[in-house]
Amino acid sequence: MKQGTFWSWVVFIAGAIYFFLPLIATFEFSMRARRGVYSFDAYRSVLADPQFRDTLSYSVVLALLTIVLGLAIVTPTAFWVRLKLPRLRPYIEFITLLPLVIPPIVIVFGYIRLYNTASYLPLTGSLRGTDFLLMCGYATLSLPYMYRAVDTGLRSIDLVTMTEAAQSLGASWTTIILRLVLPNVLVAILSGAFLTFAIVIGEYVLAALLNRPAFGPYMVWMGGNRAYEPAALAVIAFAITWACMGLIQLLTRFQKHTSKKR
Amino acid sequence: MAFLQLKSLIKSFGPVRVVQEFNLDVARGEFVSLLGPSGCGKTTVLRMVAGFESPTSGQIIIDGADVTGLRPSQRNVGLVFQSYALFPNLTVAGNIAFGLKVARKPSDEIATRVKDMLKLIGLPDLGERYPFELSGGQQQRVALARALAVRPRVLLLDEPLSALDAKIRVSLRDQIRDIQRELGITTIFVTHDQEEALSISDRVVVMNKGRADQIGTPHEIYNKPKTEFVANFVGTLNAFTAVVTHAAKGTIKVNDTAITVPHLREMQLTNGAQVKLGLRPEALHVGKQPAPATNLPATVEDVHFLGSVIRLRVRLGDEVMSIDTFNRSTEKPPVIGGKTTISLNPTDLILIQ
Ligand SMILES: Nc1ncnc2c1ncn2[C@@H]1O[C@H](COP(=O)(O)OP(=O)(O)OP(=O)(O)O)[C@@H](O)[C@H]1O
Ligand SMILES: [Mg+2]
Repeated sequence: MKQGTFWSWVVFIAGAIYFFLPLIATFEFSMRARRGVYSFDAYRSVLADPQFRDTLSYSVVLALLTIVLGLAIVTPTAFWVRLKLPRLRPYIEFITLLPLVIPPIVIVFGYIRLYNTASYLPLTGSLRGTDFLLMCGYATLSLPYMYRAVDTGLRSIDLVTMTEAAQSLGASWTTIILRLVLPNVLVAILSGAFLTFAIVIGEYVLAALLNRPAFGPYMVWMGGNRAYEPAALAVIAFAITWACMGLIQLLTRFQKHTSKKR
Repeated sequence: MAFLQLKSLIKSFGPVRVVQEFNLDVARGEFVSLLGPSGCGKTTVLRMVAGFESPTSGQIIIDGADVTGLRPSQRNVGLVFQSYALFPNLTVAGNIAFGLKVARKPSDEIATRVKDMLKLIGLPDLGERYPFELSGGQQQRVALARALAVRPRVLLLDEPLSALDAKIRVSLRDQIRDIQRELGITTIFVTHDQEEALSISDRVVVMNKGRADQIGTPHEIYNKPKTEFVANFVGTLNAFTAVVTHAAKGTIKVNDTAITVPHLREMQLTNGAQVKLGLRPEALHVGKQPAPATNLPATVEDVHFLGSVIRLRVRLGDEVMSIDTFNRSTEKPPVIGGKTTISLNPTDLILIQ
């Protein structure tokens, strides 16, 4: 018992060093823009850069749209598969895992081939069309996380029996989805949403190849052209991602009825 | 006319018929159990009444109206599941109020009804708890209250006690019966536990392979089983074959012993025919009894001490039979291998068709 505690601390500390040391080093470096003293000059310069604000807000808007699209595809699918087509689950799960195996570059080249200006659906011909393609690409990339999150949420409740109990009490499908299913999987849906957000904010390949002004390409461009600012940018990006993770934790804590005895 | 009528229900899943020609009339306020082994179609019958399965053919009539084509949400039938199936995001009171809210009842009426239901199930102070904060037995009582709160026309319970441990199972089944009597609600109760079915039902339907083998009061089912399946499934039965030696007198021969069974006279048997007879363990006695009882020599093969009852296995020629005798603290139990005489009353013999 004592021994177990000791070793888990060792592993924890080793892990913490592995994760935090580079972060601390980056942070320390980002503070050295002014010779001799620590300062926030690099941060000031980043935040003052109009390109930073433009690319970040572009990515945030796109992330939110991606979340809506992803949820609209994933939630009904997962619900219906669990309720009526449980035999299809392994296949659906396999499909949702494909984006982890197929590199984004393949997806984006496929898009460009299929939807170029010479095609029947020339989406790349307009900026909005390209944005739409980019959003679809992001939704695809986030599919494994989104589907898993929602499906796990649905698994933690006895969906079939609960639905039948509600139906026998006179409830309609809308009532069942709004009053029972959504409240019970809300935390799962939100954690899927935040993961998607984090992915979209840092994504590079899709945005760069579709040539859209997203945050990912901006970070890469900064890295090639400045000294201290990229470090500051990295810390800011980390902070955004971590804030998302923190929110997931917070929300999980808020929903007290999910703390089931098992 | 019966309040709930199931007429010639048939249900097939693909090529497999799981319910065949099922007929049942349930009177208003009656408590009927469906009893049968696993996979015999009890749940399927119940789900057809609830509206979750549509019958391949046949009719379901509630209070004179055909509901066969109605959706579950239109039937006003209460359901209680083995797994409780409470809504985890709602409190106990929220669960009980759910059906009333769906029906858009005024909020003061809902509050009163919820309070009444909580009192009815004996949990007046637990309204604000969440389901995960309750024991299994409490959760099942809340599930019962939730189903009853909307005043359903029929209450359906699918093995509601199977997930609970033995003590609570017995006390909760009595409580379910009390509540059912108090509200006078027409109820179908599914179980595979014969003791449960016999102890709380007005009538029992014994199901076998999708059919109703016998429908009757617990007393009829136990004492006058109509088929071998019913006789074996409900209680313990000693079955043996005998040869009819004098049909007009009702005389048969078992292991060279002639027994005259009065109620066999009306059965129109022929001399020399083989008949299958059954005898409950409690109908056999250890020791001699005067006529008209029949006395038979036997050897004790096994002794099981069950508390209030001692169950013996005795050998009579080729047959081995079970005997139940009351345990009396002043008497020594029989010893294994000992010779004894057992006696039976011919009127206790059950003829199995
Ligand atoms: N949806 C379904 N599809 C195919 N077969 C089914 C379906 N539902 C039930 N069955 C089959 O119908 C038969 C009866 O099932 P049912 O659930 O009614 O039995 P049961 O008497 O309730 O058994 P148990 O005591 O185990 O609950 C079983 O053989 C089962 O495999
Ligand atoms: Mg069943």
